[in-house]
Amino acid sequence: MATTLDRIAKIVTDRLGVDEADIKPEATFKEDLGADSLDVVELVMELEDEFDMEISDEDAEKIATVGDVIQYIESQQ
Amino acid sequence: MTISKLQIAHMKPSVPIIQGGMGVRVSLSGLASAVANTGGIGTISGTGISIEEMKKQIRKARELTKGVGYIGVNVLYAMTDFSDKIKAAMEEKVDFIISGAGISRDMYTWGKQYGVPVISIVSSAKLAKLSQKLGASAIVVEGAEAGGHLGTDRPLLDILPEVTEAVDIPVIAAGGILTGDDMTKAMNLGADGVQIGSRFVASEECDADPAFKQKYIDSEKDDTVLVNTTVGLPGRAIRNQFTDKIIANEKVKIEKCTLCLKDCSHQFCTLDSLEKTVDGDIDNGIVFAGSRVHEIKEILPVKQIIDCIINQYTERTVVG
Repeated sequence: MATTLDRIAKIVTDRLGVDEADIKPEATFKEDLGADSLDVVELVMELEDEFDMEISDEDAEKIATVGDVIQYIESQQ
Repeated sequence: MTISKLQIAHMKPSVPIIQGGMGVRVSLSGLASAVANTGGIGTISGTGISIEEMKKQIRKARELTKGVGYIGVNVLYAMTDFSDKIKAAMEEKVDFIISGAGISRDMYTWGKQYGVPVISIVSSAKLAKLSQKLGASAIVVEGAEAGGHLGTDRPLLDILPEVTEAVDIPVIAAGGILTGDDMTKAMNLGADGVQIGSRFVASEECDADPAFKQKYIDSEKDDTVLVNTTVGLPGRAIRNQFTDKIIANEKVKIEKCTLCLKDCSHQFCTLDSLEKTVDGDIDNGIVFAGSRVHEIKEILPVKQIIDCIINQYTERTVVG
């Protein structure tokens, strides 16, 4: 079964058109992966679908890196 | 002929004009109810006032419109009390919520819960599409001509066609709309209505101090500048000694901080600078205004402003 990181990596590479090799926990969405604030919102929406959860504005605002996403998702499961 | 085909959720205004929400305290119940009473859609700005005060303003506007006009509330997303305010406004059963300067997804969820339509202010087709997907009842597309906080440096008429193409929900054009001619141009590019801010500031019913309105009348061409406020966005304002200081990156002492913004640069207090001017101290704070403010020559009653715009629009539409 795909790991959480694999599932996140697929969404992020599809959405932002970046290499899978760049998807590391320390990578920031805005600086390292070139996402704008809209991309981040759309990513969050796709993550909600993929992991079947709801992420509030407040929690979504705290997400800066790939690692933040992993941590958030794992804390909710 | 029927002037307005605009329908946003349950709202069918007789003129397709939304009055832009203007904080701090520039558009409260006075201006919003005057616009609603003339057949448009009025917006109370909930930014920079307490929740209690906002509720009071909503109730007062309901009284002044005898419960028949359309009244909504605008709150800046960057404020820490954004969610509490939006929910409080929805509990007061406002006709709609309108918000920009940041993307809230929660407000659409609350809108569905409370049955209140949500309108999103955007400056790009991309955000318009996303707002539609999230459940927006209409889009206000705002160009760089607008006053206050801006989300783009592109003119309205460039962005507007991209947005009308991108979404199926009503599109309201905003930024630099003063006359019926401007309205005609926007409608010809596919807008379903217009949002007007600055022109309504110079009205008898506007809630700002007379000195604030007079600053609009006294302004000259190219008098507006962009200042980076502590909200983290550029805002269009009439140049004065205060904007000169901010643009020169001078730090202005903050008298009291209420932590009103989620993320503040603390270079100065944006809230205080807006409170000063709305109360009449127009040199020591920020007077937000649209880029064509110098074309406004007279403080008029709201009804006269709307009649003038609609008459010109009707003429252009029939003849042209």
